[in-house]
Amino acid sequence: MTAARTPYGVGIGWRPEIAGFVAGLPGLRFAEVVAESVPDDGELPAGLDDLLGRGVAVVPHGVRLSLGGAEPVQPERIDHLARAAARLHAPLVSEHIAFVRAAGVEAGHLLPLPRTWEAIDAVVANVRRTRERLPVPLALEPIAAIFDWPDDELDEGAFLTEILERTDALLLLDVANVYANAVNRGTDPAALLDEIPLERVAYVHVAGGAEHDGVYHDTHTDAVPRAVLDLVTQLCERHRPPALMLERDGAYPPAAALRAELDAIAAASGFVAVT
Amino acid sequence: MALSASGDTWGVSGPDFLAFYGAAIVAVAILAAVHRRRLLAGGSPDAVGRLGPQQVAHLTGGDRLAVYSALGGLRAAGAIESAPDKTLRPTGPLPAGVTPLDTAVYNAAGRRIRARDLAADEWVRSALQQLRDGLQASGLVASPERLRVARLWGLAAIAVGLLGVARVIAGTSNGKPVGFLVPLTFMAFLLALFLLRRGGAATRAATKGLADLRRRHQHLAPRQSPAYATYGAAGAALGVALFGAASLYSMDPAFAAEAEIHRATGSLSGGDASSASCSSGSSCGGGSSCGGGGGCGG
Repeated sequence: MTAARTPYGVGIGWRPEIAGFVAGLPGLRFAEVVAESVPDDGELPAGLDDLLGRGVAVVPHGVRLSLGGAEPVQPERIDHLARAAARLHAPLVSEHIAFVRAAGVEAGHLLPLPRTWEAIDAVVANVRRTRERLPVPLALEPIAAIFDWPDDELDEGAFLTEILERTDALLLLDVANVYANAVNRGTDPAALLDEIPLERVAYVHVAGGAEHDGVYHDTHTDAVPRAVLDLVTQLCERHRPPALMLERDGAYPPAAALRAELDAIAAASGFVAVT
Repeated sequence: MALSASGDTWGVSGPDFLAFYGAAIVAVAILAAVHRRRLLAGGSPDAVGRLGPQQVAHLTGGDRLAVYSALGGLRAAGAIESAPDKTLRPTGPLPAGVTPLDTAVYNAAGRRIRARDLAADEWVRSALQQLRDGLQASGLVASPERLRVARLWGLAAIAVGLLGVARVIAGTSNGKPVGFLVPLTFMAFLLALFLLRRGGAATRAATKGLADLRRRHQHLAPRQSPAYATYGAAGAALGVALFGAASLYSMDPAFAAEAEIHRATGSLSGGDASSASCSSGSSCGGGSSCGGGGGCGG
């Protein structure tokens, strides 16, 4: 737990496409890697070794556990996450509060849960099973709600708080998600920040998006909008998390633009620039 | 004894000749290997790290890859494009800080030249000559003269082979068995072929320096699907230089296809890679395994 609370500052999502850029960030102390890209054995993806050698904390980020599924989470998938954490000497791992398969059918996407007491029970049971097999703390990331289920019994803040308190898990907060959900519902993005336990935030995703036909899409392939950076500032004024990272998944811009985004996150959060 | 001696072809007994012949093959192989090793000993691996992308490309894949590296850099900088009729054309200003080869390729694009005809363009050829001269001055490649000297050992091997042929003919007409000599003669000609081939000019230091550079720039390998927009024109040019023309296909498949880029150029498994043929130069020692053939004389 204490390891997860060491302040790391501004980090970045490590992707093979920009491995050379990440390697060239002199002040970097935090990075996240997709857990599924870390093999159980054999060589680590080129460049990750060097980051670890420099003392950069690298956190595996899972997408395939399906913690929100009605059926118990598959032990071999937890073991893969645990193995990735061990290979990277990671201080923690993260996964989504979502389901990706049901009754053996793979959705191929992270799907949102209905915010019901029954769904909470299922998530809590799966998070307990997962934590039993993990050597390090687990941070949970709520996903973007593309839609609200008609039979929701709790609002987002209460739903999240209930899960975190019953599982004693950490929170991976995606401010771009928070922003997208609020904008698309017409509510205040900062309101959620007052409803969830911010002291549980292990780290924060900051991503870009774009608006099409009045709907804000959390694309991870566009620039980070000013409004999302403002939300970072509002979050850090309440409780500054140990790490915030730029999450970029494609349409990578020139290095100067990526550096400017990292610097903007540093400025918005009050951390030192890593570029 | 005296009788049998008088029956020997050229007055030398079969076993004696086999021993001498095997030794001659081994001697040529070893001398050629030692000589080539000395000729290709120049430069220091660190010097490779100070080269520009196009010089690195030339070490990896010769003139063609140097041109491809220039195309990659200019394309990534948005300076050129290809047309469906396979010609190049400029789309933006020539970027600052470019090399003479960049300038030559850019100007050729202004004349709507086809990418595959670039190497024949007068201006491009003179820029390539300049590139080669620079590499020779750095000691990282052997000069054509030195390589020619190294290939002279092939003539020595041919002489040994012809001697074998003469002995086989004389021996056969003399009614002597030549079962061991024929394969040895064959080996002498194989050795000649090996020594006469046009190997790469990169020195051992250059090959080692290239390997270091590839390790340090793993992120530019096409299998990482590098974000060339992030790495910029210099990254694109270096990616082509280190990992071959496949990088151009990974960066801009439509452009690479229209420019008729040979995908295998400079790939580590491709025949164009001078580094590959260079390493086989040191395996010349394998020629000394002919020495086992010499033992047949007993």
